[in-house]
Amino acid sequence: MEELLRIENLSVRYDEAGQRIHAVNDVSLSLKERELVAVVGESGAGKSTLALAILGLLPTNGSVTGSILYEGKSITELSKKAWEKFRGTAIGMIFQEPLSSLNPIENVGNQMSEALEVNKSRIGTKTQVYDYSPASKVLLGQSRLALFRRSTRVRNPEVLEWLKKVRISDPESVLERYPFQLSGGMMQRVMIAMALSLRPSLLLADEPTTALDVTTQAQILKLMKGLVEDQNTTILLVTHDLGVAAQVADRIIVMYAGDIVEDGSVTDVFSNPLHPYTKALLRCYPRSAKAKERLETLGGTIPDLKQEIRGCKFADRCERAKEGCRLEQVRLVEVERNHFSRCTLYY
Amino acid sequence: MQDLDKEVTVNPGYRKGKKKRVKLVQKVSFKVYPGETLGIVGESGSGKTTLLRAISMISRPTQGKVKLQDRTIFESRKIREKMGGRIQMVFQDPDSSLNPTMAVKDIVAEPLMPLKLDRKNAEERVRASLHSVGLDEEFFGKYPAQLSGGQKQRVSIARALVSHPLILLLDEPTSALDAAVQAQVLNLLIDLQKQLHLTFIFVTHNVFVARYMSDRIIVLYGGSVRELGPAEKVLVEPLHPYTSTLIAAFPVPDPKNRNLLGIEVLGEPPSMINPPSGCTFHPRCPFAKEICRTEEPQLREVFADQLVACHFALEIFNSKKTTGGWTQE
Repeated sequence: MEELLRIENLSVRYDEAGQRIHAVNDVSLSLKERELVAVVGESGAGKSTLALAILGLLPTNGSVTGSILYEGKSITELSKKAWEKFRGTAIGMIFQEPLSSLNPIENVGNQMSEALEVNKSRIGTKTQVYDYSPASKVLLGQSRLALFRRSTRVRNPEVLEWLKKVRISDPESVLERYPFQLSGGMMQRVMIAMALSLRPSLLLADEPTTALDVTTQAQILKLMKGLVEDQNTTILLVTHDLGVAAQVADRIIVMYAGDIVEDGSVTDVFSNPLHPYTKALLRCYPRSAKAKERLETLGGTIPDLKQEIRGCKFADRCERAKEGCRLEQVRLVEVERNHFSRCTLYY
Repeated sequence: MQDLDKEVTVNPGYRKGKKKRVKLVQKVSFKVYPGETLGIVGESGSGKTTLLRAISMISRPTQGKVKLQDRTIFESRKIREKMGGRIQMVFQDPDSSLNPTMAVKDIVAEPLMPLKLDRKNAEERVRASLHSVGLDEEFFGKYPAQLSGGQKQRVSIARALVSHPLILLLDEPTSALDAAVQAQVLNLLIDLQKQLHLTFIFVTHNVFVARYMSDRIIVLYGGSVRELGPAEKVLVEPLHPYTSTLIAAFPVPDPKNRNLLGIEVLGEPPSMINPPSGCTFHPRCPFAKEICRTEEPQLREVFADQLVACHFALEIFNSKKTTGGWTQE
């Protein structure tokens, strides 16, 4: 499998009221083609910031150091225009809240067509990767403003195909509906269909099923798994739910307070967790606990990211912390083959 | 101990437009016993919240009664006020259920207002309540924005406990929390239940949490009870196909057991405005036959204490037994 995305020494800082928040620290990872990688961790771990950094969508007070290489080319220095081309076509994104990501005053068919047309006109003639429908040929080259004029809008026939691919029920009628007329699961399917219609090689999904019921979640996760297998999509899935990660991911990256603390195949991470944080997190799930027996917990909270912390950030909550853990930056070490952990236990 | 039998038969109808009444919850009847935890599981739209609102006296049921210790809750205003503090609720989202402009101690004191306690007494109860959830004096003057998710949920629990309730209604109290914090809050709830002999009605969509917390389980679908019975029966050897689906769709944190990818979940939850005929689960049920489309199954006792509303519950159960059972771990 070929490498699709490579991140090297990526750090993200937010400047807030004169203080620096160290949201992501020195993260290096690579995604191979057709891989489904889950980034897991508690809130505040830096998972979403990482995803936004890859998309170049950080808020203006965020600054990035390090490099992000997509198919070997650096994307961190892209201009605003170049980013817009890149987003959607190379990397697609699905967010947690479909309702706030969809346009409430445009029906599904129109907004999906618009996404398609805008992206096609952006790519223009440079990279002719699509076979254009007659309708879009007409629209190609027209100003973006014209696309908003309903009278000139031509519904792209591809849209319906994509709705069918995400197995939405009654796709013809969904085309005419507005977001508020759809259930959460259907909206999320529309989001996925819209992201996929641009045929990105990489899909970033930030908690895509968190707001959904378990049965809908199962359907969406199966759909995403199918994308990897059938459409050769690579997926980076951000989730706080270890259950979701265990069910679909090939590889798990555990983040804590902006650091990658563990990285390994899904079976390795779950059957042989290395980092004390991963171990503690797995024990917190009430899966094997007898009814009403005390659950194991993890005391404390994520440290204040405004402070520069020397040594291991988990040390304050770690039952195995030693004096040495707080002295210096802990490195990510390859403990077993392709299984990494950031802990002095493995020095 | 007080006799905590409670019977709920609600059939609230909300007006939609001018013509249609939407039945959100139908003919739901059950009892809750002192000191037990009754888990309610179901998807959004299954009527869980409507049911809790009826029990908590927020909304009046269209039909039926909610009885607390043999007294009907909505009978008169006087009874209602008197009972108000006896049933308290903890909501899912602490951000929207805690007033951001009030300090922690004032939030917790609010349910005491109608009780008209003297100030010293009230302060003492607020203090005791906050201590019981593990929050000490340093938190009393803080505002919700200064608290973490787990701490906020502790404040919600303290507010519910301050009026010395008999029953706590817990509406997905941990679903907004991270796993580590969830474990802390669940431990706290179980400790409180033992200390104070509380009765819990616990709404959750998390099958593990439901099994861990509950003595008995009610499975709701489309506003009616589909299965009712002991937790270790209903959530381990379910009788209703919908219960099986719920369990199978729950992501088990074990990559060796990829239950979720193996199942086929059909369709979407039913429309409450135009519910399907017969058994409302039939469009999504892999076992549905003709009778399921025409006749609504009644809740019946199939095994001791295990009730189910499905025409074919026993047949499905027996076939699962012979084929090696349930998709659960």
